[in-house]
Amino acid sequence: MPQDYWGRMVYILQTRGMSYLNGAKNTMIIALVSTLIGCVIGFAVGIVQTIPVSKKDNIFKRALLFVVRLILNIYVEVFRGTPMMAQAMFIYFGSAALFNINMSMWFAAFFIVSINTGAYMAETVRGGILSIDPGQTEGAKAIGMTHVQTMLYVILPQALRNIMPQIGNNLIINIKDTCVLSVIGIVELFYATKSVAGALYTYFEAFTIAMVMYFVLTFTCSRLLRLWEKKLDGADNYDLATTDTLAHTSGMYSYPGGNSSEKRRTDGMEKGQAAQSEERNDEASADRSFGKERDR
Amino acid sequence: MSGVNERQTGNAAPQSVLYGGTAAGEEVIQIRHLSKSFGSHEVLRDIDFSVSTGDVTCIIGASGSGKSTLLRCINLLETPTSGEILYHGTNIAASKVNAAAYRAKVGMVFQNFNLFNNMTVLGNCMVGQTKVLHKDKEAARQSALAYLEKVGMEPYINAKPRQLSGGQKQRVAIARALAMEPELLLFDEPTSALDPQMVGEVLDVMKRLVQDGLTMIIVTHEMAFARDGSSHVVYMADGIIEEEGSPEQIFSSPQNPMTREFLSRFMRG
Repeated sequence: MPQDYWGRMVYILQTRGMSYLNGAKNTMIIALVSTLIGCVIGFAVGIVQTIPVSKKDNIFKRALLFVVRLILNIYVEVFRGTPMMAQAMFIYFGSAALFNINMSMWFAAFFIVSINTGAYMAETVRGGILSIDPGQTEGAKAIGMTHVQTMLYVILPQALRNIMPQIGNNLIINIKDTCVLSVIGIVELFYATKSVAGALYTYFEAFTIAMVMYFVLTFTCSRLLRLWEKKLDGADNYDLATTDTLAHTSGMYSYPGGNSSEKRRTDGMEKGQAAQSEERNDEASADRSFGKERDR
Repeated sequence: MSGVNERQTGNAAPQSVLYGGTAAGEEVIQIRHLSKSFGSHEVLRDIDFSVSTGDVTCIIGASGSGKSTLLRCINLLETPTSGEILYHGTNIAASKVNAAAYRAKVGMVFQNFNLFNNMTVLGNCMVGQTKVLHKDKEAARQSALAYLEKVGMEPYINAKPRQLSGGQKQRVAIARALAMEPELLLFDEPTSALDPQMVGEVLDVMKRLVQDGLTMIIVTHEMAFARDGSSHVVYMADGIIEEEGSPEQIFSSPQNPMTREFLSRFMRG
C-alpha cells in the first residue's frame, strides 16, 4: 500500500471502487423509492387532514374523520419525534421478537425510510394545501366541482409545485440518512465505506471518498429537481393567437373615443390580422359610442 | 341613457332561450326570509326577493351592507343561518341538496377573478365542461373558444392567469362561467379590483351579456351600469333590503331617505 495520502486514495479506488459503487447504488435505490412512497403517504395524510367538515355533515362521517385524524396525528408525532436509527432497530428486531414477523432487511429499509418521509411530508403537504388561496377553491366550487375534483385538478397541482423544494429537501435528507440503515445490515454507502476503512485501516482516506460521493449524489439530485421545478412552471412567454380587441388601448372608460388613429394602432401585426382587427375596432368603437351618450 | 334599456328589454325575451332554456319571466331564484349571521354578528336579516329569467338585478349599497354575503348565499358558498332559497321551487338551502350540482347551473364571477393558476386561459374555460359536465374534449374546446371570443380573450388561450392584466383575467373568468352555460350568473363586484380603464373592458363584456338576455345578479359599485344596464335595482343597507325597484324608480325618485342619501353623491356627479 502506498505511503502518501493521494496514493492511498488511488489504491482504495482501484481495489474497492466496486464496493463503493455498489453501496452508492443501494443508497440511491432506497432514497429514491422511499421518497416516492413517502410522498404518496404524505399526500394521503395531508389530504385527509384538510377535508373540510361542516356541521351539516352527518354524524357518522364526522366521527370517522375524527378517529382517522387522531390515528394519523399519532403516526406523524411518533415518527417525527423519534430517531430513525432507533426506529430501524425497534421495527426490524421488534417485529421478529414481538409478532414473529420475519421482515427481509430490504423490506424493513424501504418501510422505515418511507414511513419517516411520510410523517414529514404529511405536514408539508398540509402546509402546501393551506398555502393555496381560498379563492381557488371558491372558483372551483362555483363551476360545480366537488371537493375531490377541486383537490385533484386545482389545489393539488398548485400545492405540489409549492412544496417541490421541500420534496427535494426530503430526497437529499434521505440520501444521507440511509446511512442509519447500516445498523440493520443494509450495505449502503456508509456501510461499504466502514468496511473498506476497517479492512485497510485507512479511515481518513476511505471517508474522504465517501464524503465526495455523498456530495455528488445530493448535488446532482438537487440540480435535477431544480430543473424539474422550472419545467413545472411552464414557459415565461405565451403566443398570441390573434389580437386583443377589447382592451381599451386609449382613453379611459368614462371618456371614450380618445384619438381614433391610436385606437387603430396595429404595429407589428401581419397585414391580414391588421385588416381583421380594424374591422373589430370599428365594432368596438360603435359599441363604446353608447357609453359616450350615457356619460354626457 | 335610455339606449341600453331599449336594447335590453327588446332582446331579453327571444334571446333568453340561449341560456338555460327556461321561458322568460319564470322565477329562477326566490329568496324567503333569508338570514345569515357570523357568530353574533347578523349580516343579513330577513331578505326577500326574487329573480326571473332574463332579469338583470343590480344590488347596490355601501361596503359591509351584506351584498356580497347575499350573493355568496345564493351560490351556497355561505350557508344561510335561516330562511329559504328556492331554485325553481326547490329549497337549495336544505341540507340534503347536492351543492355541486346546483352550482354547476349557477355561475359566479368574483372580485378577485379566482382563475385557476395552474391552467392556461383555455384550460380554465374547459376544465368545468370536461370534469363537471362530462363533455368530450373537442366539444369543450370549441365552446370555450366561442365564449373566449365573446369576451375578446381568444388571442390569449395559451397564456397563464399570472401573465394577464386584471381586466383580461376578469374577462376570462366571465368566459369560464359562461362556458358552463349557466342559467343564472352572479357577479360579485366584478370591477372593484380594476383600474378605470380595465373597468371599461369588463363592463363592455357585461353589456353584451345584458343584450343576450342572460339572467344576472350583479353586486356592483358601478352606479352608471346599475342605472343603464339593469332591469331591477336592489338597495341594501345594514343587512336588509331598504328599497328595490326599476332603475328609473331608484335613480330618479328614490323613496327611502337612505337610498337618497346613498345615491346623492352619484346623482350630483
